[in-house]
Amino acid sequence: MNAPAFAPAADRRNALDRAHIGDIEGALGTVRAFDTGPRVTSRRKLATLLAVLGPGVVVMVADHDAGTISVFAQAGQNHGMRLLWVLLVLCPALYVTQEMVARLGAVTGSGHARLTLERFGKLWCAFSLGDLMILNLATLVTEFIGVALALSYFGVPRYVSAPAAAILLVAMTATGSFRRWERAMCVMIAANLTLIPLAVTSHPRAASVAAGFVPAVGNGAAGSTVLLLVALVGTTIAPWQLFFQQSNVVDKRITPRWLRYERADTAIGAVMFAACAGAVLILSATVAAAAGPHRPFTDAGAVAHAIGAHLGVGAGGVFAIALLNASLLGAGAVSLSGSYAIAEVFGVKHSLHRRVGDARAFHASFAAIVALAAGVVLVPGLPLGALTTLVQALAGILLPSTLVLLLILCNDEQLLGPLTNGRALNAVGAVVVGSVLALSTLLTLTTVLPRMPFAIALAVTLALLLAAGVVLGASNVRHRRPPRAGASLTPWQRQTWTAPMLELVAPATPTRPRLLALALLRAYVALIAGLLLLKLAGVLPG
Amino acid sequence: MIRSVPPLPAATAERIADTMFALSTPSRLQILVCLRPEARTVSEIVAAVGMEQSAVSHQLRVLRDHSVVSMRRVGRTRRYALSNDHVGALIDDALEHIRALERSRARERSEAQAG
Repeated sequence: MNAPAFAPAADRRNALDRAHIGDIEGALGTVRAFDTGPRVTSRRKLATLLAVLGPGVVVMVADHDAGTISVFAQAGQNHGMRLLWVLLVLCPALYVTQEMVARLGAVTGSGHARLTLERFGKLWCAFSLGDLMILNLATLVTEFIGVALALSYFGVPRYVSAPAAAILLVAMTATGSFRRWERAMCVMIAANLTLIPLAVTSHPRAASVAAGFVPAVGNGAAGSTVLLLVALVGTTIAPWQLFFQQSNVVDKRITPRWLRYERADTAIGAVMFAACAGAVLILSATVAAAAGPHRPFTDAGAVAHAIGAHLGVGAGGVFAIALLNASLLGAGAVSLSGSYAIAEVFGVKHSLHRRVGDARAFHASFAAIVALAAGVVLVPGLPLGALTTLVQALAGILLPSTLVLLLILCNDEQLLGPLTNGRALNAVGAVVVGSVLALSTLLTLTTVLPRMPFAIALAVTLALLLAAGVVLGASNVRHRRPPRAGASLTPWQRQTWTAPMLELVAPATPTRPRLLALALLRAYVALIAGLLLLKLAGVLPG
Repeated sequence: MIRSVPPLPAATAERIADTMFALSTPSRLQILVCLRPEARTVSEIVAAVGMEQSAVSHQLRVLRDHSVVSMRRVGRTRRYALSNDHVGALIDDALEHIRALERSRARERSEAQAG
């Protein structure tokens, strides 16, 4: 027989919402659902890339939000260019983690929250979803603070700017057209990128910029620098991004056929992020150096005024507009990640393709969390700076669990088949997760037990991490994987491999590495939560 | 002469497709068939279908979100039922369609063996 061999194709694809099946309707192009033929000419390849371009770029540039600008500006002001090298590490780390969720989304057709529920059960799902919502609300508040700071540069009071921003965000999301939403995002991304020419026009010293890319630690005590490093990592790699990109890839109807293009999208986004964040750091460092004697960092609004004072009012205005855009873009993506997650878990319609009346719970949860965050910002006497720090710290603590679960999911052969993580990718992923874990643990130890000498905290963290790494590594090396599911597939079948319907997938095999990783994660969460609770209860000395 | 059929309005086609999506997984069909004769509670459905309670609840939410199944509170119990007779007819017709296909295939096979 010579009938065409159909892979478990797009038509039999698992979907939680019918709107997730169909043509890719991107801001910059369309790919019809049936148009899966080879892309031979470079023109066709480019057209496909432009159509697929979106989730990766949006998530990365949205990641460069109010909190990120504030932390990178702080790094520039307090340490000059000395911490620029961090970006060289963060950019690939971002790509590795985001590529994993993009792959999970394309292959399983399911968002991250739903997948957590299906593969790890109710408890982990409730934990992740609860974390996500608390963190999202806190992050959203920082975004609205960013909006308020940016518009106060132009003399707009926050009682006007915060509600206006909330209304704009809801209007942008509730259009009932994925393409319109993505176009709005593209405009904001473009506005965000104006930071790069702005940084160039500030005439930074080329030699000091180049020196910044050599790994070194900044001024001052090691402890405070580590806290700043944790904040840098914590704002850059955040749980909402993982949830957002996976759901958005699904909603954009990207199938494994387009995974290669989605990877390019993610890589382009990661570079854009590094460029924007680097621009902020350089700008802030240059302006701080020009201002003479060192002043402590206050907020991003003060940076706009400092830029206005040294490069002209126009430049300050450009920075303020970029800050406004970054905050709005971040707010849109962060709240969307929450709405996607809630609707996925509860099994109600969730798609940007749907109008308000057609997916009420999805759009209502978006509007509710945006309104709540905008309301919090209007509370008088809110300690804004402290809140930003709290968000970063909280994210740094809660992030590791999300990352560990992600790594386990990406080793689930029943879901990913031939697209499961290989050993090399697992090794890179383990390094990324391990570093985030180390920084988070260090942060918790130094905040909860401030009298502990820094060197001891560092030693304890490294010892714990090393022990966990050795145990896990040993079990992984001893664990023989069954021959990979894709061994007998043709290249085309491997490229278009799609996970079966979630309800038909057998429960995850309880392999030893999986059980061990979950047990260690449980111990970690219990330890950190216990320490924080003791601290809050006032048992531990502060 | 070719009889002209007026095209379905796009919005209607979307709504029908959404309804059909609700009928598009084996577990949801099991639940619908179980609800075909009468309204039932979740625990009755769980017992009849042999799926986990959480899975049944999830699929019931999907079915309700697509207005295929409705829920009514009677005292403290919640009873689920097909939204109307048309849903029942859809399931019946789908079943009949499959049976008709199988019958004609069986006939073809026996004819091929005989001939």
